[in-house]
Amino acid sequence: MTSTPSTFRRVRGCLIATLAYLATTAISVWLLKHQLAGASTVVRAVVSLLPMIAMAFVIREVLHLVRTSDELQRRIDLEALAVAALTVGLGCLSLSLLVAADVLALEGKTVLIWIFPALSVLYVLARIVAQARYQ
Amino acid sequence: MKNRLRDLRSANQWSQAELAERLEVSRQTINAIETGKYDPSLPLAFAIARLFGQSIEAIFHPDA
Repeated sequence: MTSTPSTFRRVRGCLIATLAYLATTAISVWLLKHQLAGASTVVRAVVSLLPMIAMAFVIREVLHLVRTSDELQRRIDLEALAVAALTVGLGCLSLSLLVAADVLALEGKTVLIWIFPALSVLYVLARIVAQARYQ
Repeated sequence: MKNRLRDLRSANQWSQAELAERLEVSRQTINAIETGKYDPSLPLAFAIARLFGQSIEAIFHPDA
């Protein structure tokens, strides 16, 4: 991506949205555990999905960043996404095979909640490696 | 693929950042092309050729 004021604005937007995500996640978890333990399923569902509003803003900022990137940056993004997606996908497949073979006992929610963070962290790491290759 | 981008840029006394701005790409892209780590797309190669007033073949040529 080109280092324009627009880019910095988008990156700042991503950071703010990520912080909002973390804050709403903490609030949502606290509410569900302490205030809404006996609430209806609909209320609990709405509160549990509150952090997704912040994530929608992150997606919007990332999409804009990708669309305004030049061809090399897009190639780097594609390589990083491919590495991250395949690594997480194969990791999940490996875990499911181990669970099916009764070697591991994992709860579905434990695995599901780690997929997006794992994808994000691996994407950032793969992007750093891919970017270094072109410097 | 080898290229004469660095020579042409130096002849015009442009920095990588200036050239990147003229071509609307990142400075990293210019650096990667100059060092031969990245081959530009055809549209970008045409844009480079047009900017320096030369043909693509005069700027880019295959290794070997």
